[in-house]
Amino acid sequence: MVESQNLLTEVESKELLKKAGISVVETKLARSKKDAIAISKEMGFPVVLKISSSDVVHKSDSGGVKLGLTNATQVGKAYSQIVSSVKQAYPEARIDGVSVQKMAPPGVEVIVGMSKDAQFGPVLMFGLGGILVEVLKDVSFRIVPLTERDAREMIKEIKGYPVLQGYRGQKPASIQALEQLIVKVSQFVEKNPQIKELDLNPIFAYPDKAVAVDARIILE
Amino acid sequence: MFEEKLKEFEPIFYPKSIAVVGVSATSIKAGSVWVNDLRSAGFPGPIYPVGSSGGHIGDLEIFPNLRLIPGDIDYVIVAVPRQSALELLDDCAAKDVKAVHFFTAGFSEMDRQQGRKLEEQMLEKARRGNVRIIGPNCIGVYCPEHKIPFLAGILGENGSVGFISQSGGIATKLVTIGIARHLNYSKGVSFGNGIDLDASDFLQYLAADPKTKVIGAYLEGTRNGARLLNTIREVARIKPLVVWKGGRTEVGAQAAMSHTGSLASSAAIWSAMLRQAGAMEAHSLEELTDTLLVFQQPGYGQGIRAAIIGGLADGGGGNSVAAGDACTEHGLKVLPLSSETKQKLADLLGEVGGIFCNPVDVSQAQFRGIPTLLQAIALIVGDTASDVVLIQEDVEILLPVYSRKGLEEINEFIIELGRRQNKPIVIVLPPGSVEAERLEIEQRLLAASVPVFYSMERATKAVCRLNEYSCRQEAK
Repeated sequence: MVESQNLLTEVESKELLKKAGISVVETKLARSKKDAIAISKEMGFPVVLKISSSDVVHKSDSGGVKLGLTNATQVGKAYSQIVSSVKQAYPEARIDGVSVQKMAPPGVEVIVGMSKDAQFGPVLMFGLGGILVEVLKDVSFRIVPLTERDAREMIKEIKGYPVLQGYRGQKPASIQALEQLIVKVSQFVEKNPQIKELDLNPIFAYPDKAVAVDARIILE
Repeated sequence: MFEEKLKEFEPIFYPKSIAVVGVSATSIKAGSVWVNDLRSAGFPGPIYPVGSSGGHIGDLEIFPNLRLIPGDIDYVIVAVPRQSALELLDDCAAKDVKAVHFFTAGFSEMDRQQGRKLEEQMLEKARRGNVRIIGPNCIGVYCPEHKIPFLAGILGENGSVGFISQSGGIATKLVTIGIARHLNYSKGVSFGNGIDLDASDFLQYLAADPKTKVIGAYLEGTRNGARLLNTIREVARIKPLVVWKGGRTEVGAQAAMSHTGSLASSAAIWSAMLRQAGAMEAHSLEELTDTLLVFQQPGYGQGIRAAIIGGLADGGGGNSVAAGDACTEHGLKVLPLSSETKQKLADLLGEVGGIFCNPVDVSQAQFRGIPTLLQAIALIVGDTASDVVLIQEDVEILLPVYSRKGLEEINEFIIELGRRQNKPIVIVLPPGSVEAERLEIEQRLLAASVPVFYSMERATKAVCRLNEYSCRQEAK
């Protein structure tokens, strides 16, 4: 799936989101193996490396993601592997380098996204992340702009809501933090009509905050 | 809010005079049907037929041109081919007509490019001539109070339910189902392509209309989503609004690059929009009319505690169990009656274990006569532990026990009780082997504003909407 000039890279997407007051996991672009190791050391291990190319839409499908790297040697090796496997999958893709971010502690995975409806304009989607969103389509929608109450109702509307309230000893996720994040995303897309689609997937929801681990912005 | 709409829409729902364009003295044309319908309905103002043939329809003169009509015209019904639409709008502007309803089809719904272009030209002319357009491609206005019937002379009783519909077929069905079930409309409109006046305009009018208490809508799409969302939000604050969105399976098959894009189907977005705006969503004509029926009754009631009487004689056991299930599934709570009421019922009907809980079994009354049964019903309805009462009457079982006259007495008592109690009473009359008698009872109850349903399933689904509405009102 090599495509789209309009796809912002993860680093670019997160930068825009961060400016809009949406918490993201800090991510930096490494243009070389050396760069990647230096950034990793600065951030602290374990880290995650991902391919950075606006031609690659599905990063993990092409071997473009390596998780849980605990030292410089692993980071160096991962860098080479990522670049070579993406080159093999998409020989045409222009590769900026590899993005480096600290491995986020586990939280409840959720997704917040935006797409444009022909009749109602930008709409936000909320759901639990991973397999639940893809297979069960357990998601809810609201039309932009959203109030805090809209955000709260869309969170409570999904069938998987009890998972957010703490399940089998897992700590409950802060619903308020998710609400605030959703409202901020609503404000962000309202101010930026040039954004066509957006996915914050996954967001890790914690007892005290919610942080976007990966982000993708597609422009008109 | 929207009070200015009352004056603006007066010539549409209460025109002083109507001209019908597309009438022929010799052949049967749609226009001729309209003229005859308005006359037989008893429309209280002048009706002016217009048609190139001239001559007469009945004793009314057919004018060759709208401009030749001597009097003022508020409202024009147009049933001529689309080629004449623009010229006709000039005539309307010249005659200072307030609103034109185009029955004529064949615009953007058939021919995307040409039709859309013609619609734009029509709109421009209408704006310049200060004329409002209803349609095209629709059957226009229905107003029993002002004796404006739907096509083919369909005219029900005057009531308190308002409706709007993008489809003429659905609009007609709403009215005819209404006639069958005593669902009585204040007014309604089928607005088709809605190139000028659209769903939002009519919703605002109905929100302001003092004759309308609850609003139903059938919608397929909108050309101005943001305005519709805002209008629905404001209207739903004023009156209960039930919306059935047609065309739910049409999938927005777009090549999306995000998860969100691939999951955001048009149906999901519409449901979200309605929820966000505070409207109630119906998924079928049946659900829409069932819901309107419960909102039509005098009091909406509040709360979700249901008392169930599964049967008034034998055979109530299984029905009670099923009724309890249906209630619980649709969000009603079936809690035990108060111990005081239980004791009184036991004194009245004799001690038989467990039957006075809820659902209540009053079958013992069949051995003690109708007055005892009526006392039992009054006790259950009067119990403070419930907010709504559902009573199933299986006519084929009751008829041999209480006789036709006895059943009449029972139902008159229930009607009277419903008027005295500030609590909705809903009757379930399942179809069976004595359809004629069942129908007679159904009609009597419906005419007295007691909602009647075929099944507990449908009754509970509709009754839950009362609570859904009161919860939303509180949340605002």
